Amino acid sequence: MKIGTPKELFEGENRVAMTPASALELQKLGHECVIETKAGAAAGFSDKAYKDAGVEVVKTAAALWKAADIVAKVRVPDDGEMKRLSEGQTVVSFFSPVADEAKMAAAAKKGATVVAMEMIPRISRAQKMDALSSMANIAGYRAVIEAGNNFPRFFTGQITAAGKVPPAKVLVVGAGVAGLAAIGTSTSLGAITYAFDVRPEVAEQVESMGAEFVFLDFEEDQKDGAETGGYASVSSPEFAAAQLAKFREIAPDMDIVITTALIPNREAPELWTEDMVKSMKPGSVIVDLAAEKGGNCKMTVKDEKIVTDNGVTIIGYTDFPSRMAAQSSTLYATNIRHLMTDLTPEKDGVINHNMEDDVIRGATIAHAKEVTFPPPPPKVQAIAAKPKAAVVELTPEEKRAAETAAFKAQTKSQVTLIAVGAAVLLAIGLVAPASFMQHFIVFVLSIFIGFQVIWGVAHSLHTPLMAVTNAISSIIILGALMQIGSGSFLVILLAGLAVFMTGINIFGGFLVTRRMLAMFQKS
Amino acid sequence: MEFGFTTAAYVVAAVLFILSLGGLSGQESAKRAVWYGIVGMALAVAATLVGPGSGYWLLSILLIAGGGAIGYQLATKVQMTQMPELVAAMHSLVGLAAVFVGFIAHFEMVRVAGLIAENANLAELGTFASLIAKKTGVELAILRVELFLGIFIGAITFTGSIIAYGKLAGKVDSAAKKLPGGHLLNITAAAISAVTLLMYFNSGAFFPLFIMTLAALFIGYHLIMGIGGADMPVVVSMLNSYSGWAAAAIGFSLGNDLLIVVGALVGSSGAILSYIMCKAMNRSFVSVILGGFGGPAGEQMAVEGEQIAIDVDGVATALEEADSVIIIPGYGMAVAQAQQNVAELTRRLRAKGKNVRFAIHPVAGRLPGHMNVLLAEAKVPYDIVMEMDEINDDFPETDVAIVIGSNDIVNPAAQDDPNSPIAGMPVLECWKAKQVFVSKRGQGTGYSGIENPLFFKENTRMFYGDAKASLDALLGKID
Repeated sequence: MKIGTPKELFEGENRVAMTPASALELQKLGHECVIETKAGAAAGFSDKAYKDAGVEVVKTAAALWKAADIVAKVRVPDDGEMKRLSEGQTVVSFFSPVADEAKMAAAAKKGATVVAMEMIPRISRAQKMDALSSMANIAGYRAVIEAGNNFPRFFTGQITAAGKVPPAKVLVVGAGVAGLAAIGTSTSLGAITYAFDVRPEVAEQVESMGAEFVFLDFEEDQKDGAETGGYASVSSPEFAAAQLAKFREIAPDMDIVITTALIPNREAPELWTEDMVKSMKPGSVIVDLAAEKGGNCKMTVKDEKIVTDNGVTIIGYTDFPSRMAAQSSTLYATNIRHLMTDLTPEKDGVINHNMEDDVIRGATIAHAKEVTFPPPPPKVQAIAAKPKAAVVELTPEEKRAAETAAFKAQTKSQVTLIAVGAAVLLAIGLVAPASFMQHFIVFVLSIFIGFQVIWGVAHSLHTPLMAVTNAISSIIILGALMQIGSGSFLVILLAGLAVFMTGINIFGGFLVTRRMLAMFQKS
Repeated sequence: MEFGFTTAAYVVAAVLFILSLGGLSGQESAKRAVWYGIVGMALAVAATLVGPGSGYWLLSILLIAGGGAIGYQLATKVQMTQMPELVAAMHSLVGLAAVFVGFIAHFEMVRVAGLIAENANLAELGTFASLIAKKTGVELAILRVELFLGIFIGAITFTGSIIAYGKLAGKVDSAAKKLPGGHLLNITAAAISAVTLLMYFNSGAFFPLFIMTLAALFIGYHLIMGIGGADMPVVVSMLNSYSGWAAAAIGFSLGNDLLIVVGALVGSSGAILSYIMCKAMNRSFVSVILGGFGGPAGEQMAVEGEQIAIDVDGVATALEEADSVIIIPGYGMAVAQAQQNVAELTRRLRAKGKNVRFAIHPVAGRLPGHMNVLLAEAKVPYDIVMEMDEINDDFPETDVAIVIGSNDIVNPAAQDDPNSPIAGMPVLECWKAKQVFVSKRGQGTGYSGIENPLFFKENTRMFYGDAKASLDALLGKID
């Protein structure tokens, strides 16, 4: 099949859905690649680089749409591109089945197949094609960089000859992929970072990135994020109120606020109200990553940077990934390439659009002249570990009580064992003759010594221990030696054999032990 | 005939043997401890040859020398990966020797009884026979029980060890197998033995003894056939224990305290090893002996996700970037003979200043301590080889964990899935490391046949291929 990538038409879009590197991988799957001239220029990939990777470069978008069986894009096709779409053609791109419903219906009517990158299910197996995550990662990083660019102070605290500089305080709201990336970037720049999320189970992830999780004084059974495909769900009004109260309390202390809270297919929730913005210090920066969906702060202006009356900068850009086009194109092209790998199971250049596959089914929103959105719930749910029951800390008294109880139980079991053992010994002593009892005492004492001694043997020396015990259990040779001289030919024969075999064992056992032990060396 | 100096020598030998086992508590003291054992054995044999065993001393020495030559050959030729087989094979010899000695005791008893009946001159008898001649009726009855037990345990040890050897050497199918009838056959054989014990106790005739020997041989064979390859560490240490008890029982029948002491030492040593192994697998001794993993208690958790492969370059890059590495070897490393490559990899990574350590699960391999011996052979310093409990808490701070040929001992299902057959077994928590590489031949399950969710984790990458070949390729990328 021929996979083609046109130049993105959307204003200010620098990304491209195919890189020379991804083209090489696609060709390994048996596909041919074609690209519109200058498609990769804005992302730093020249036509020559594509040609060197074996990609055919065509002059116009029209020629490309005609040539390609599969068109891989970044942005949803515009009206002109929709017209070029033909029957049997497949489009792979960001394509919101809600916002672009009309286009989805049009594509289905034409008989084209649409694979929407944002509809890739959030399951482990599909992570390698999850473009939302890879783009969110970039957005989170870039949000901190943009904030720093507009923030008039250091991130990290310093004590210099010219005075003491306090560290910046950063609050990240929403600890999804973008939020976590922002946390990581912010902590590595040296800022004191706080983070909040409605899903309490992400507190551990937040803390693992070096930020402090902001807990609310609020008790409610939150929905486990795993039930909603790894995304946050709408919270109750009480919860929202508690959340806003907490934000209001900490807002004056924050230098930089990065909001990333989005709920799928909904207006972004308002989390940072006007009075919070007013309470912030001049020079503070707010980066609203939810600007595309109306913003977590209602003062955000989409695609613009504004400065409020009290000197707070609010950044509402929506094109963070595009601002790092080389990086984001590489990741996006790799996501596309992984998707194509799943679509080409035989690696023979033949697309097998398997609608039974959870991932492919979930991402396909138009196929075979039908709208196939929404998909049935995936057979495999996103995996999240169940919250573990907290280990109850014992008070010192309880600990002591437990220890005393354990000691008592131990004493009890030992006394019982000794009593039973003594009774058994007595019983044997009553019937057995004295000569037997002499040996028996030796036997019992030896077992005791054995138990005491063997517990001390190092774990790593268990193999030598077995070899040595093997050698010394050949002490049975003494029995054979004592018998060999007394009696008939049969006795001599059997005893001789026994001596011979134990001889093998004694020498073999000790030698091999020595060999093993000689190998143990200290560094 | 009493030999005072022989008894004295036996006391010294017994002390030496105890010191020899006690010395195994540390690597350095162990080197000295072996000499204690050797001297103890030499002393015991010499004292016996000079004293009570002087009858055919030349023949005895020749036989010992002959056996010793073979033992020397075996000990110097054997590959360290074949240690489990060697140990199992040697146990079988002890078992057989115990059977022989037991039979001789029986023959002598019959002969002496005959002589007494004829009122012949008892002064001409050999050492052992004259000992018997002094015994009273009750003592003779006890002697019968003792030698009966000695033969019984010895016979089980003999066939059991041969089967264990076969399984470990790959000459017998290592899967758990039972004849139709299963444990009923074992119970029947044990019942036969019990009946013959009564018969022998009353009559002292050869026939019940012989029948019992056959039954015991069968029990040894069938019992070990029914135990799968993964349980071999327990089996080998169990047989080790049996060989000790057999020696002790023979010691009773010969009235020899040194045999009793050593037998009891070896017996308890093997018992403790079996206990440690069972504990490490979270299984009861009985369930191991009854063989095979029990059926799952309920629906096992389905494993989700996919196994993601990685090539040698990916592993090499990750290792170059890592500061701390933990390697988890298993039986697969022994099978592929990859320990030298592992050691070389360790040397190169350590030369770059990386913190490389080994995590050894108590039941890794087919013999207690198997991995330690292999790594020692490859000259991996023992102070970077850690036990499970020492290192398990360090995984979260580790950059890369490399799993080489182990499976069940790194299976997170043991902790997460209460229905897993290995639920509750302590495992190495390697999945807590930032990245895990699993060197494995293919996508199959391990010995126990249990699916391993580790391979499906997000931070796990599968490095397919024979462990040795994979590491060879990896060494080419890391200098």
